[in-house]
Amino acid sequence: MGEVKGQAGAKALQEFLSEAQDILEGLGRSLMSIDDALRRGEPDPDVVNDVFRGMHTLKSLCGMFGVEPLARLAHLEESLLEEIRLGRKAWEAHLMDLLFESVECFLSALSVVAEKKDPTAADDLESIFVLLARLEGTSHASQAPRPSRVADDLAPQHRAYEPEDLFGLDILEVLTEYEEHRLRVNLQRGMKLCFVLMSFSLDAIDIELDKVKKRLKPVGEIITYLPSADTADPDKLALNIIIALHGTLADLEEVLADKAHVVEEIRPRSRPPLPPRLSDRPEPAAALSHDLAVDVDTAGGADGGLSREGGVASLKSVAQTVRVDIRKLDRLMNVVGELALARTAIARIGAELGAMSGRRDLAIELHRISGGFDRRLGELREGILEVRMVPLGQMFDRLARMVRKVSRELGKEIHFVMSGADTEVDKLIIEELSDPLMHIIRNAIDHGIEAGEVRGAAGKPSKGTVALTAYQKGNHVVIEVEDDGAGIDSRKVLTAALNRGLVTHEQAEVMGDREAMYLLFIPGLSTSEKTTAISGRGVGMDVVKTNISALGGVVEVQSELGIGSKFTITLPVTLAIIPALLVVVADRTYAVPLNTVAEALLVSPSDVRDVLGSPTMELRGQTLALCRLDRFFGVDRRTTAPNESRVVVASLGQRRLGLVVDNLIGQQDVVIKPLGRSLSGVRCFSGATDIGEEQLVLVIDTAAVIEEAFQSSEKLETRVDNSEWT
Amino acid sequence: MSKAIVPAVEGESRSLRRYGRHKEELESFETQPSGFLCFKMDDDEYGIDLNLVRQIVKPSALTWVPRTEPFILGVVSIRGEVATLIDLRSCLRLLPTKWPRSSRILIVERDGEALGLLVDEVTQVRRLPSSSIERDPSLLDGPRAEYVLALGRTGHRDFVVIIDLDAVLREWLP
Repeated sequence: MGEVKGQAGAKALQEFLSEAQDILEGLGRSLMSIDDALRRGEPDPDVVNDVFRGMHTLKSLCGMFGVEPLARLAHLEESLLEEIRLGRKAWEAHLMDLLFESVECFLSALSVVAEKKDPTAADDLESIFVLLARLEGTSHASQAPRPSRVADDLAPQHRAYEPEDLFGLDILEVLTEYEEHRLRVNLQRGMKLCFVLMSFSLDAIDIELDKVKKRLKPVGEIITYLPSADTADPDKLALNIIIALHGTLADLEEVLADKAHVVEEIRPRSRPPLPPRLSDRPEPAAALSHDLAVDVDTAGGADGGLSREGGVASLKSVAQTVRVDIRKLDRLMNVVGELALARTAIARIGAELGAMSGRRDLAIELHRISGGFDRRLGELREGILEVRMVPLGQMFDRLARMVRKVSRELGKEIHFVMSGADTEVDKLIIEELSDPLMHIIRNAIDHGIEAGEVRGAAGKPSKGTVALTAYQKGNHVVIEVEDDGAGIDSRKVLTAALNRGLVTHEQAEVMGDREAMYLLFIPGLSTSEKTTAISGRGVGMDVVKTNISALGGVVEVQSELGIGSKFTITLPVTLAIIPALLVVVADRTYAVPLNTVAEALLVSPSDVRDVLGSPTMELRGQTLALCRLDRFFGVDRRTTAPNESRVVVASLGQRRLGLVVDNLIGQQDVVIKPLGRSLSGVRCFSGATDIGEEQLVLVIDTAAVIEEAFQSSEKLETRVDNSEWT
Repeated sequence: MSKAIVPAVEGESRSLRRYGRHKEELESFETQPSGFLCFKMDDDEYGIDLNLVRQIVKPSALTWVPRTEPFILGVVSIRGEVATLIDLRSCLRLLPTKWPRSSRILIVERDGEALGLLVDEVTQVRRLPSSSIERDPSLLDGPRAEYVLALGRTGHRDFVVIIDLDAVLREWLP
C-alpha cells in the first residue's frame, strides 16, 4: 500500500493512528501496574487480560491497515501474552522489558506513519526487526508446559481439586482454555467456588453486569458466566456466574445484599467417568445438576458471547466518548472569534440606533438581545475550551515508562511518585509539554540522583525519589519535578558558563546564586563531566525553556546542594493561539489576527483617492477606506512618498478597512499574552506575543482599529488637514 | 504612609531576592529585612524597599507600544511574562539621558502585574539602622517631595533618597 490517497484514506489513517495510540497508552498503563504488582506478588488477572486483549485489537488494526511488520510484532506479542496468561510462561523480567520496549517501538513507528501519512512508512524501522527477532527467540526457547508455580507452593498433604472434580463435561466443555486455567489456579490455591445466579434485564445487561462485576471484584475472581434458562421473564436473561471466592460466603452475600440472587457453593461431586479427551466432543448434555441449563447457542459460542467482557467494554466506550480531531475544535473556535466580531458590530449599530430620535425602543431591544448573545457566546467559547482539556494522566503514564527504562539503563533505583494526574490542561499544551518534562526527569535521574553507594554514604535511602506533581493554581497549571539527589552547584554552572565563554568574568562576578542557576537554560551548557547517552550533552535545558516559553509558560529552578533540585513549570490552562499575519510598520513588527484579514494588496500611490479628506482606493468596484498604520500609531517619520504600499484588507462585519503597512513578513501561529493593566488605556492592541529571542510583537486589535478609524473619518468632514496622501 | 518602608515582618519575606557582591552581607539581609535596593541616577543615590523587587534584569529586547505616554518605554518579556517597562527617570522628573550600559530593569509587582523600572545603575543593597533613617517629610520640598519616603544617611555627607514607590506608581499609573 502506498501513500494513502484522498481525504477518506487520510481520515481513516487518522482514526487508525488515534485508536492505536489509545490502545498503546492503555497497554502501557496496564504493563506498569503489572510491573508494580509483580514486585509484591501476582498481577491481577483482569489486568493481564486487558493487555492480552489490547494486543489482540492492535494486531487486527495493524493488519487491517496493512502495516505488516507491526501486525507481525503484535501477533508475536499476543502469543507471548497468551502463554503467560495460560500459565505456561512466568512473568520474567526480560519478557517484561520486551513488552515495554514494544510499546515504545509501536509508538515511534506510529509517529513515523503519522508524519509520512503512509502506513508503510515504518516498515523498515530497524527497531521493529530487532524486537521481532528477540520475540521469535523467546517463542523458540519456550519450555514445555510446566506445572504451574502455585502448585509447587502448596503443601502436598491434600491434593487440590481438579476442575473435573467439580463440573460435568457440559460445563467444562464450554470453558475457554484460559477460563479453565484460571479455574485450576484458583482450585490449587484452595479457593472456594460458587455459582451466583442472577438475572438481568436484556436492554441494560451490559451496565448491570458491569456493576455486579465491580462489586464482586473485591471478594473473588469471576471465572466465567454462563447463560441460564432459569427465568420466566422473556425480557430478562439469567446468568450463572462462577466465582472463585477469596473471601467468605458472608462477604459475597454482603456485596450482593440488595440484588436478587442465588448463591450456591460448588462442592466436589462424585467423580464422573473421565472422558477420553475433551476434544472428542461428546453430545452436550441438555440439563445440569444444580438446575442449570447451558445454552451454548444463546451465548454465541464460547468466545464471542454477549456476556463476554470484551464486547461489553467496547460497546460502552463507544457510547460515552467521542474522539475528535483537535483541528475541528480549532475551526469551531475560529467561528466563535468571527461571531465575536459580529457581536461588536451589532453593539455598535445598537448605539447608533440609540442616538437616532424615535428609535430608542428598537435600540433598547437590540441592546438586550445583543447582551444575551454575548453571554451565550461566552458559554460557547468556554465549552469549546473545556472540550479541549484533557487530564495530564496520559502523559504521566508515558513518563513513568520512561523513568522505568532510564533507571534500568543507569542501574539506579528510582521511586517515582506522581500526583495530580487528573489535572486538566489544553490538549495542545500536553503535546508540547511532554518533551520538556522528559528532559527534566531524565536529567534528574542521570545527574540529580546519585549512585546507590554515594547516597548511602550521605545518609540517604539508596533508592532515589523523583516526584512529579501537578496542580491547578488559578488560571495556571503548575507542574513540579523534584528529586532528592545531589542538587545543582550554581558555582559549577557559573564555571562551566565561563569556560564556554557564555558569560564574561565581570558578569560572573556580580552574579547571584539564583541568576547563575538560570544559566542552565542557556544553549550549550552542561555541568556533567561525562556525557551519557541519556543526558549531559548540554542540549535539553535550553530546549525546555524555549518550548515552555512558546506555550506562554515559565520554568524555574530551585536547588540545594546535597538535598535535591526542583523544577517548576507554570503554564496557562488554555492557550490563546491564533494564526496571525506579521507586518512591518515604521521598522517595527506587528501581528494582525488572520481571521480579520480578507486579503493583502499591493497599491501604488496613483490608486489612492481622497474622499472628504480621507484616503481611499477602489477595490473591485467598491470604495475601500485606508488607514496608514504609521500615522495611526503616531510614528509618521517618512518624508518621501513610497512607490508602492502594501494594504492589508481587514474586515469586521460589514466594515472593511485597508491597513497600509510597509511590508508583509508572513503568517505565523502566535500565543497571545495579555498586556498588563498599566496599558489598559491603549485600545488598539489585544496583547503581545513572543516570537522568539524574547522579542515581543504587539498583536493589533483589528476591531478596535476599525472602530476608531471609522469614528474619526466620520468626524473628518470638518477636518481639512492631514488629508494628503504622501 | 510608611507602609512601603516598614518591610515585611518575620516570616513574611515573600519576595526577597538576593542581589549584590557580598554574600555575607546578603545573608544578613535574609534575617534582617530592613534592606534597600539602591541605584544611582545622575549624581544621586536612590533606594527602594528590597522586598518590593522581584528580580533585576539587564535591558533586553524592548518593544515600543504606540500611543502611550513617554514615561512608558514599552513592553519586555520577563521569563515568559509581558511586563510594562517604565522610565523611572522621567517618573522622578529627572532630565532624560541616553541609557548607560549599566542600566538595569527592576521588576516589581503591582496588583499582580509585573512592572519593570528602568534605572541607570544598580549600586548595592544597603541595610540601614533605623537611627540613620530620617522620616521627616519637611526635609525636602519641591516637585519630588511627594515621592520621598525618607532619607537614609550612609556616611558623613552621603545619603540615599528612599522612594515611596507606591506613591510614584499611583501618580503615573492611576
